[in-house]
Amino acid sequence: MTAVQAALSGALIGGLYALMAAGLSVTWGTLRVINLAHFGLILVGAYLSYQLTSAWGIDPMLTLLVSAPVLFVVGAALQWAYDRFNIVEFNSLLVSFGLLMIIIEVSTQVWTADFRHIDAGANPYGTSALHLGPIALPVSRLVALGFALLLIGGGHLVLERTFAGRGLRAFAQDRTVAASFGIDHRRLGLVVGGLAGVSAAVAGMVFALGNTIAPAHAYEWFGTVFAVVILGGIGNLLGSLFAGLGVGAFSALVAVLWDPSYEPFVLFLAIILALVLRPQGLFTRRGLA
Amino acid sequence: MLEVRGLDARYGDAQALWDVALDVGAAETVCIVGPNGAGKTTLVQTIAGLHRAAAGTITVEGVDVAALPGHRVCDHGVATVPEGRRVFGHMSVRDNLLLGAYRRPARAVHRETEARVYELFPRLKERATQQAGSLSGGEQQMLALGRALMALPRLLLLDEPSLGLAPVIVDEVFDAIAAVNATGVSVLLVEQDVERALSAASRGYLLIEGRIVASGTTTELRESADVRERVLGM
Ligand SMILES: Nc1ncnc2c1ncn2[C@@H]1O[C@H](COP(=O)(O)OP(=O)(O)O)[C@@H](O)[C@H]1O
Ligand SMILES: [Mg+2]
Repeated sequence: MTAVQAALSGALIGGLYALMAAGLSVTWGTLRVINLAHFGLILVGAYLSYQLTSAWGIDPMLTLLVSAPVLFVVGAALQWAYDRFNIVEFNSLLVSFGLLMIIIEVSTQVWTADFRHIDAGANPYGTSALHLGPIALPVSRLVALGFALLLIGGGHLVLERTFAGRGLRAFAQDRTVAASFGIDHRRLGLVVGGLAGVSAAVAGMVFALGNTIAPAHAYEWFGTVFAVVILGGIGNLLGSLFAGLGVGAFSALVAVLWDPSYEPFVLFLAIILALVLRPQGLFTRRGLA
Repeated sequence: MLEVRGLDARYGDAQALWDVALDVGAAETVCIVGPNGAGKTTLVQTIAGLHRAAAGTITVEGVDVAALPGHRVCDHGVATVPEGRRVFGHMSVRDNLLLGAYRRPARAVHRETEARVYELFPRLKERATQQAGSLSGGEQQMLALGRALMALPRLLLLDEPSLGLAPVIVDEVFDAIAAVNATGVSVLLVEQDVERALSAASRGYLLIEGRIVASGTTTELRESADVRERVLGM
């Protein structure tokens, strides 16, 4: 039973990994920008939710009304800058890593390196759990899964069913031909960068619901979230959802059945094996190149 | 419809087009023939706004589009069937077609246009939900043409539509081009298959090493010593 409990609650954390991975995956897959600053946006999103909840005493989810538009603008501005200076692929990795360090440094100045957490009184999701017989599922993690399903499911539908979504997929596959049909990559890039910012706001808020926040977290997310992006298939939204859930459940199982200290080692060993067997990611890419 | 004057194009230091001038009238089919590496693809890409002109004007229905960004040229009624087809392989056939109707005026009537493309190429309808990458070369060429038609072009640029296709398929593609032209769409056809090109068009230009060296009606071109020697190999 502990294994079932661990797998389920691990998969729910996986919802958070998926939320963190979604924005990174889409900008990488479509705009060819590997935006490490995304982790910084998630951190800022978490701090904004913490700060606004503390200041106004509102429900943490309502803080998205502020943090989502703010990070939309920041995400769009970042993408504008990447595009303006033609920073893609390997260059973007370096530049955005620099930006990430700056964001972390600024966050440390503003919120200090101490652990911060939303007051228990203001956080109705923090400690409660849903009990299904012997299994207890923390509400904050259910919220993570709920938002992941909502955001990724919605994003997937937009990509598959709308003209803008088709334009983006076409652009990812062949920029020149896409342009000949009127696809303006600058404008599309701003929207995608902005929406990635919104996903960072949501991921940050969800993280703040169930965790203490410190600037160094942004580095800790790296490995797992990258693994989710790659396993899901770069640019594949649904893939990052499934990969997130899988990685979450797998890590939790290793921690419970074996030893928590083996978790990163076993996880990355499994990921390397998986990629050797399926270099294109575990989930066949549909739509995005 | 299309008027090109004094057009130069370059790749870095290497010049690919020199002082090119050509015209395509309303509802006319004009071909450009020339050997491999002559600059035919560069010419098509430059007219479509996908390669920046180094000098000269490209006038479409009276508007100079040479300085427009690539994604704006289609707003002037220009659609391209690129060399090698370049369909979006990871997208369904239907999504490829709908992508062609991305811009506003075409988007508003995309259902009607889609129905007409399926009439022209019933095979695309059968394969509508299939990934474009899984189609045969001939079907991909039909898809590339259908995608361009979805944009409601008044000028269609075709870059080597016969490339790599079996003769019966090429017949089918050229029949479709003739049918499209009959609806009043002007066609600029680039081909290495000179016989096909000259039969499909009413006028043509011979492009060699980036320069137009001969032009005239297709009958005149057939007689021209240059064409006979340099591209027909006679
Ligand atoms: N992307 C490119 N970069 C540099 N040179 C190119 C490029 N594309 C074509 N060229 C050169 O431009 C000339 C014309 O090529 P192209 O337009 O493809 O000819 P064609 O379509 O008639 O075969 C050739 O000399 C070719 O090597
Ligand atoms: Mg060519």
